[in-house]
Amino acid sequence: MAYLGRAALLLAFGLVAYALVAGSYAAWKRRRRLAHSAQNALLAAFPVTLVAAVLLLVALGRRDMTFVYVWQHTSHELPLGYALSAFWGGQEGSLLLWLLVLTGYAGLAVWLNRRSRELIAWTVPVFGLVACFFAFMLCFVSSPFNVQPAGSDGQGMVPSLQNPYMLAHPPLLYLGYVGLTVPFAFAMGALLSGRTDERWIVATRRWTLAAWTFLGVGQLIGAHWAYVEIGWGGYYAWDPVENAALMPWLAATAFLHSVMIQEKRGMLKVWNMVLVALAFNLSLFGTFLTRSGVIDSIHSFAKSSIGGWFLAFLSLMIVLSVALIRWRLPLLRTKTRLESLVSREATFLYNNLLLVALALTILWGVLYPILSDAVRGETRSVSKPYYDFFLHTFGLPLLLLMGLGPLVAWRKASLRSLGKTFVAPFAAAVATGGVLLTLGFGSSWPGLLAYTFSAFVGASIVLEFVRGRAAAGGVFRLIARNRRRYGGYVVHAAIVLLAIGIAGSSAYQTQRERVLTPGQSIEAAGYTLRYSGLTDVKGPNYTGFRALLAVSGHGERFNLSPGENNYPIEGQSNEASIYHDPHSLGDVFTTAQLIPKSNGKIDVKVFVKPLINLIWVAGFVFVAGALIAMWPDAVEQRRLAARYAAGAAPAGI
Amino acid sequence: MAAALAVFVVYTALAGAGVPQILPSKVHHYAGKDVILVGTVVATRGNAYTAAGMHLVLRDPSGSARVPVVYHGTVPDLYKVGRVVVVNGKLTDGRFLADKGSLSTKCPSKYAPAKSSKT
Amino acid sequence: MGWALALAAMLAVIAVVFVARPFLRDPSPASDRLDELAPEARERLALAEERDRALAALKELEFDHRTGKVSDEDYRAQVGPLRRRAAEVLRALERGEGARHERVPDPGERVP
Repeated sequence: MAYLGRAALLLAFGLVAYALVAGSYAAWKRRRRLAHSAQNALLAAFPVTLVAAVLLLVALGRRDMTFVYVWQHTSHELPLGYALSAFWGGQEGSLLLWLLVLTGYAGLAVWLNRRSRELIAWTVPVFGLVACFFAFMLCFVSSPFNVQPAGSDGQGMVPSLQNPYMLAHPPLLYLGYVGLTVPFAFAMGALLSGRTDERWIVATRRWTLAAWTFLGVGQLIGAHWAYVEIGWGGYYAWDPVENAALMPWLAATAFLHSVMIQEKRGMLKVWNMVLVALAFNLSLFGTFLTRSGVIDSIHSFAKSSIGGWFLAFLSLMIVLSVALIRWRLPLLRTKTRLESLVSREATFLYNNLLLVALALTILWGVLYPILSDAVRGETRSVSKPYYDFFLHTFGLPLLLLMGLGPLVAWRKASLRSLGKTFVAPFAAAVATGGVLLTLGFGSSWPGLLAYTFSAFVGASIVLEFVRGRAAAGGVFRLIARNRRRYGGYVVHAAIVLLAIGIAGSSAYQTQRERVLTPGQSIEAAGYTLRYSGLTDVKGPNYTGFRALLAVSGHGERFNLSPGENNYPIEGQSNEASIYHDPHSLGDVFTTAQLIPKSNGKIDVKVFVKPLINLIWVAGFVFVAGALIAMWPDAVEQRRLAARYAAGAAPAGI
Repeated sequence: MAAALAVFVVYTALAGAGVPQILPSKVHHYAGKDVILVGTVVATRGNAYTAAGMHLVLRDPSGSARVPVVYHGTVPDLYKVGRVVVVNGKLTDGRFLADKGSLSTKCPSKYAPAKSSKT
Repeated sequence: MGWALALAAMLAVIAVVFVARPFLRDPSPASDRLDELAPEARERLALAEERDRALAALKELEFDHRTGKVSDEDYRAQVGPLRRRAAEVLRALERGEGARHERVPDPGERVP
């Protein structure tokens, strides 16, 4: 069975290599049938890769230990769901997932746009190139189908991966990462074909939005996972693996905004090309970071089998992107200039600069250990203060801009009309800030600013809906007629909720730690937690204990039971216990560690995190907003189809 | 404006030099200085919650140099002999005195979030 | 193992046939040339995009004016040039390859 899998992957490699080579030749020499053939090869790659994927899934499900991969990532007692999720738990499997999603997306995108033959002729080889790399790695460097003699039980799965998040987080992230390849391929296809029109943007708009949404939601799920499962008390540690997903997401956010400017004003064509290439290359880099362990140290990078290959491919794609953009620079330049520094275009530009600056400072922080090792011979790393500084420096102005943008008109806004629209949100912000200051929130100035700016943005969004509703005659009609704009506002509202949640749970959190014997208590932020004793717990592949804490405070009473699980194969893991306060939307988060040979003494940590649940709520609002923005508009679709059908009429034969 | 931003970023990044990550074989060069020590646990005894603390020995992941470490604070997930761990502190009189609560394990699977314990 | 081999072979054959299909269906076509947009068609497409841009900008200006974001005087100042631009582009499109010789400048452009 492993041989069939290997054969399928080889076939897939052959198909995408053909798509690359034949596709390039066909596009260059303008050969219709060859181009069509290359397109078919790309389309065929998906079902073939699917065969390989299904084979791996079956092997995982059956716990077939003759597959080295299955042996490395599962064991016989591992529950079925997690055994299947080991598909993306290891390097080879996640490469296969990349290829699967890529060929799926590529096939669909190409097929949907097949009538745009000139553009597709060049887009196919670009997809082929990216797919070739992954297929090559799967066939010759890092195969999931290596076999071994059947024997011992598998190595099992790390306990922190054994939870429902493992089923959702990686696939969603991959749907996002890989999704960014689609606008990239079309953009490079447009450059290669010398087309300067916006067909590529129109074709990929929803793809970009969908990928961006998947990436965003995937990250939120990852943060929730870290918070609930890993139990160190937070949800984001600026870890390279976390940053790996944040950077392309920031670049994609910038791209989504600046593409609107190109659409409305015909400006920023070069910048958009740069952004889409940046987003794609960061997404490749992100995959590379997560899989190769390069950031641990340059030494472990050398040991990783795929590190060198990935770096080579990434460099190739960067060089190609830059070369293509440079080559077509004359075609892309337009004479349209920014009319005023006080206009919506300008706010979009500032937003872009801030987003890209933030992404680059994170990139710098991620690369710092490698660079310092190369330059100084010692690995230095930056930590939370570095990232927090830039998050405040760039993030807070970004938050403010979200409120300013909608208030400002396109092209040029006179200061007088700006003043009029500005007044209400500004007043709301000042009032909020003043009240918070008197209530003692000045203890953290970034927190205070975040809340104040959030009030500003929130008021500005509400005003947009109120004013718009009056003009359109009802909220639903308003949204239905302006899906992208109002979908965007809903997404902004989600970001505001996110900002409030992050500010509350970090700037204004209370943290306490104490060693307790049964009967003793610990206090934090108005809650008293009394330790009464221990109980034992048992699961399918673990044993452990829970510490019983009776909590009272803020007019409530509840119980928490933090503890530890002991997995015979993998080791011990922390199990946090969290109480979600329905009134304040905050959490009381506890962990407990048993002090050995001490007759039940535990080391308890308590975090009181105000408003943290807004972060998760924000996730749902985010998806709702993105769906609204993506919702197809029949009138718009017809108009676009007419525009490009006319343009696509074949030239004289 | 972008240029100004770039200069600002580069300056702050360079100025705020990070903390070096050192292997047991090199830690003697940094005696008395704050570093992050990375190594494989080869022996461990004692209780991190008592006054005497937990005594562990870290070895170069790919070599043989060893360093004794004294640690107080929370013991992270998956800690056991054979794991690669990371701990902050400084080398004093031949022993590495760790900062309280700074011990964390590097997860064996490169997939899970790398930090399994943080204060 | 035998069935695995057979399955693999079958898969390969289907794939190859699919890839060769354009050649198999049309062994001697009238033209094997890949369509591409003639320069006039490209110009027309650029004009069509310009037209849509101008019309959308007008629509948005109206909406912003009605919701009070753009003041009356700002509206009056902007609506004229925008309407003129839209009209120019529409005329250019009607003329067919009209933009062959002159580009219609955007109000935001700096004309040398």
